[in-house]
Order: sequence, then C-alpha cells, then structure tokens
Amino acid sequence: MRLLEFQAKRIFSEHGIPVPKNVLLESSTDLENLLYPVMLKAQVPVGGRGKAGAIKPVTDANEAAAVLDELLNTRIRGNPVRVVLAEEKVEVQKELYLALLIDKLARLPVIMASDAGGIDIEQVARERPAQIVKKYIDPSVGLSNYTVHYLAKRIGVEGHLRDFANLAHSLFDIFRSYDGALVEINPLAVIANGLLALDAKIVLDDKAAYRHGDLFGRLKAEQTRSRKDGRSRTEQLAEGKGITYVSLNGNVGMISDGAGTGMLTLDLIQDAGGRAANFCELGGFGGKESMQQALEVVLANPRVKVLLISLIGGLTRMDEVADGIVAYLKRHEVFVPLVVRMCGTQEEAGRARLQTVGIEALDDLPTAICTTVDTVKGS
Amino acid sequence: MAILIHENTRVLVQGITGRVGSFQTKVMQEYGTNIVAGVTPGKGGIMVDGIPVYDFVEEALSEHEADVALSFVPARFAKDAAIEAIDNGVHFVVLTAEGIPDQDVLTVLNYAAIKGIKVLGPDTPGLVSPGKCKVGVHPDRVLKEGHVGLVSKSGALSYEVCKLLTEHGIGQSTIVGIGGGPLWGLTQREVLEMFGEDSDTKVVVMLGEVGGTMEHEAAAFIKKDMTKPVISLIVGRTAPKGARMGHAGAIIEGEGETAASKIRALKKAGSLVAKDPAEILSFIKRLEVGVR
Repeated sequence: MRLLEFQAKRIFSEHGIPVPKNVLLESSTDLENLLYPVMLKAQVPVGGRGKAGAIKPVTDANEAAAVLDELLNTRIRGNPVRVVLAEEKVEVQKELYLALLIDKLARLPVIMASDAGGIDIEQVARERPAQIVKKYIDPSVGLSNYTVHYLAKRIGVEGHLRDFANLAHSLFDIFRSYDGALVEINPLAVIANGLLALDAKIVLDDKAAYRHGDLFGRLKAEQTRSRKDGRSRTEQLAEGKGITYVSLNGNVGMISDGAGTGMLTLDLIQDAGGRAANFCELGGFGGKESMQQALEVVLANPRVKVLLISLIGGLTRMDEVADGIVAYLKRHEVFVPLVVRMCGTQEEAGRARLQTVGIEALDDLPTAICTTVDTVKGS
Repeated sequence: MAILIHENTRVLVQGITGRVGSFQTKVMQEYGTNIVAGVTPGKGGIMVDGIPVYDFVEEALSEHEADVALSFVPARFAKDAAIEAIDNGVHFVVLTAEGIPDQDVLTVLNYAAIKGIKVLGPDTPGLVSPGKCKVGVHPDRVLKEGHVGLVSKSGALSYEVCKLLTEHGIGQSTIVGIGGGPLWGLTQREVLEMFGEDSDTKVVVMLGEVGGTMEHEAAAFIKKDMTKPVISLIVGRTAPKGARMGHAGAIIEGEGETAASKIRALKKAGSLVAKDPAEILSFIKRLEVGVR
C-alpha cells in the first residue's frame, strides 16, 4: 500500500523527521487562516506530481481558492483529487535525495542518497548513476553510524551532520517498524537552519499487515475517505478478497490458478485474436471459496462475453476449485458461455464434479483458447 | 544425476499435519519420495501416513537424518520454521509459503547465506527429478524422466510446459520452481549453472515473466558461461504497464522489467526464445540433442 503524502508526513513527524508546517484542505472554507504564500499539493498516489501539475504555489486567499477549486476538479494521471495539502513555502538552498528500500537481487535493504534531489532524480539515476550513493545494510547489523557519516560526506551535508544522522536513523526505524517496502524523501531540502522533508513517500508491504493490528486498515480507510476512487467497479469488488484482479479492455473473461499460467493464457488469447477483459488469479492456495469470489468479480463486468477458466493444479486441488464452480452455478444464473480447462492434482474428482452441472472440462490449453476465442467471435 | 535431489534424498516435512502438508506428503510418498519425519509444534508423538511427527526439528534429527527440509508452514510462521531448520544444520530448505513479509524473507535468506545453507523459494512449488524424487507439489501426470532441465518462477507454468513435453515423449531431468518473488533464494542464474554441470541435462528451459530484472542476470550468465542450449519463454508479453499481475514479482515498472527487454537480452545472449509452450517443443525437437 502506498501512503498519501499527508499520511507519510504524519509518520515522519511522529518519528522526529522535520516537515513543513501543513494543513489538510477539503474545501475553500479551510483557506481562511493560512499564512501566505503556501504550496497547494493534491493528495494522489502517483509519482512526478510536480510535472503532472498537482503542486502549485499561491500567494493569497483569492488565488488559493481558485487553484484549490481547479485541483479538486481535475484528475492527476487518472486519479481524482479529494484532499489537498497546504504547506508553508520555504526558502530552499539545495535539494537532496534520501531513500531506503529492498534491493531484490542483492537481497538486502539499501540506503540511497544524492545531492541531486528533486523532480529529475529518475533522469539522474539513468544518466549519472554515480551521483546516487548506495550502501547496503545487513538486516542483522542495522544502519551503522559510519554509513550515515559516509553518505553525509558524499552528498555534502557534513555541515548538518547531526540533523542528517537523526533523520537517516529515523527513516530506517520507520522502514523496519512499519514493514516498509520503500521510504523516500525527495526532495530533502537544505534550509537556513537545518534539513526539511519537503515530500514524503512510504510504501508498506501488504503481506505484513497482519502484524500491525488495525494500522494498515486504518490508513487504507483514511485513503478511501480522502480520495475518490478511480478504479473500476470490479476492481473495487475484488479488493479485500484473496484473489488478484486487474481490469483490461477486452471481452474474454479469464480466471487462472497461478500468475504465470494466467499471463500465458492472456498472451495466448491475444495471439489467437481475442482480447482479455481481465487478469484474475487465485494464488497458490486457491480453493472453493476463492473460486467463488473470482467468479463473482469477473462476471460482474458487463463486457465479458465468454469466460475461460484455466486450471493446472499442483498445490491447488482441482476437486476443491471444481466445488467452487459448482457452488457458484447453483446459486447464480450465468449468462455467458464457460470454457473450463482442468488438469493436475485431483483432476478426476474435479472433472466428475463439473459434469454434475453439465460442464465437460478440456485438458489441452491451446484447444481451450481456440474454443474460447471462436465462441466470442461467433457471438 | 539430476540437480539438488536424487533417488536417496531424505526429506523432513515441516507443517506436516496441516491440510496442505498432510495431503501433499501422501502424494509425495506415493511418488516414491523418502520422507523420514515431520515436524509440527504441539503435535509431536503422532504419525501421519506412517511418518513420525516431532515438536522440534532437533528432536526429529536426533532420530533421523534429513537432506532437505520442505516447509508447508503458513506465511506468518514460515520465518521461524525456516530459522529452526537452518539452526539445526539442514543443508537445503524449501519454502512453499506465499505471502511471507519481505523483511522476514530477508532475515531468512541472509541467515541462510551466513550458515552456508541453500534456500529454494519462497512461494515455490518445490522441485522434482521425475522417476527419482519429488520434493514439491508438481502433478505426477505431467512428469516423465528424461534430459530437459527446467527452471521456472511460476509453478503452474512449469506444469503446463512439462505436460506438453511429456505428451510428446520428452522427459525432464529436474524441474525447479524458484518462486514467484519478489525475493528469491536460489536464482535462475544459479540453477542454470547447476544444469550446466549436470550430466543428465542436455538442454535447459527457462520460464520467466514480466517484473523484476532477474532474467537479465540469467542472460549475462548464458552469454558468458552457459555450456548447454537454453530455451526461454517470458510470459506477460501482453500485460499492461504498471499492472500487478499476481506474483508480487510480476509488476512492470522500469524498462528492464518488461517482457520485451528480457526477450531482447536473452536473444542477444544466445538463448532461443519461444513465444509459447508449443514453440519450446519445436525448438527442442530441432536441437537434436538426444532428449527423446
């Protein structure tokens, strides 16, 4: 889950990382007591907001009202805006970059710092990678002081060494204690009397939600209150269920019992001249319950003209997913043709159960793809 | 030979009394895998399909010798179970759990590296050398003993390809599922290297997907050091940019993570790149390396 800026800044503040004074705006009545000039920043979960027109300076209440109205009525890279953060404008001497994340190939957390922070950091990474200093962190050792001092020297903030060290250690604490996938400050501003996190980005590892009480749930609920939902109805329906669902533009519905075969199935549908309406997979522990959920979500899309269920089970048992299909068909009327390809663990039992509702499962994936695409072309 | 496991591999199953663990243990036993003991905390003293169950790995190892610990322990307890197996010196740990928090996976992988222990997974179907030993959940009917080595991120995709090969009389030496990511113990590159040294393997099939950059590391190895033909398939050619397609690893962000860039890199490295399983089959037939 990617936090919105105001949520990340609240966590920063709680951990002693300095951020500009700010207030959350939902309508123009909130503008009256501000000290101008301020920056107005649309709260949307996308990168490059500066370039996308989501961040605007304003000098007085009249201008602020007009800009706020404009921001609340635009979409930023497809995302509608419900909440805007107003923030004091500060005199910036220099923009730095500081981030913590997991390097997936090195299998280690890495801290990255640069003296070239700001909106062009991705270009710096591509064209002048040496200007971004990287240091790996052994999880059993933690962030050592010498690493912090080394980074301070390399990015030229030795003059603010104590501030930088506190900030780097706090950032690492947040990364560890919140199960962060990414914690980033860009830009980290050098100002007259210290350092200030002008922006804040935190991405949490959803897989760790269970060990944070209701924290992840509360952050999520706060986001849905403060952000109009730009997702499709079926994507919202899939939320919170144990399945993965992605909306696509075509009319062939697809359910698979693994991500790899799901992607293969989409590739083959397209190669055969069809267009998929969605990607939907049950995950390794798919069973009766998750199959019913998947059917409910995929068939809620009115564009779906035929549904291909592509199953090849190892961990997933075909008898259990067949039970899910049977249970769904007994409770719901389905108006589109179903094509089921089934093979793998407990497939005989699975096939037998499908026969009770009149479905003859196919064994061969290319045949199932042809049948599916022919059906949709004929309809 | 085959890689990582052989006819006499002795397997310890962690989480043996759970719904998945007990079912898959039975299937593996029927396949001929030598399962010596199981561990489930609090269930010590019972038997599962004739296999003695212990509370702790240490207790199991005082009565039995094991070469591999295969874990069916659910995600939130998987780290602890893996650390226990590593602490007790089991040389090879296979983690099937999906959804282990990344920071737990880091802890396990770094601890294993310090102790010199191999980890396969997490989120892996395990591995199988057809006709010899199965330490995983691959459906039997798609398997046939032979000389094609397979390494795959996705379990189900490897079953799909094996099914086609087996139906056409082409057997496999070992099938290794490295897991869906985004973090991996054994990598594609490491498994390719093992296949390179395995006398039973004549040709290697590598099944990858969009997301992450691991295939580029594998491509560099193929170009420089691979001694056998490699056929690759990268799925997710038609996946939209920015979409999360199931595996945490299969999120397309940077340029290096797209299917197109991986296909380009693999072709440049000298791998044959198939567009679907059927083309893998025709490449293998054309290679004439004696795999039938």
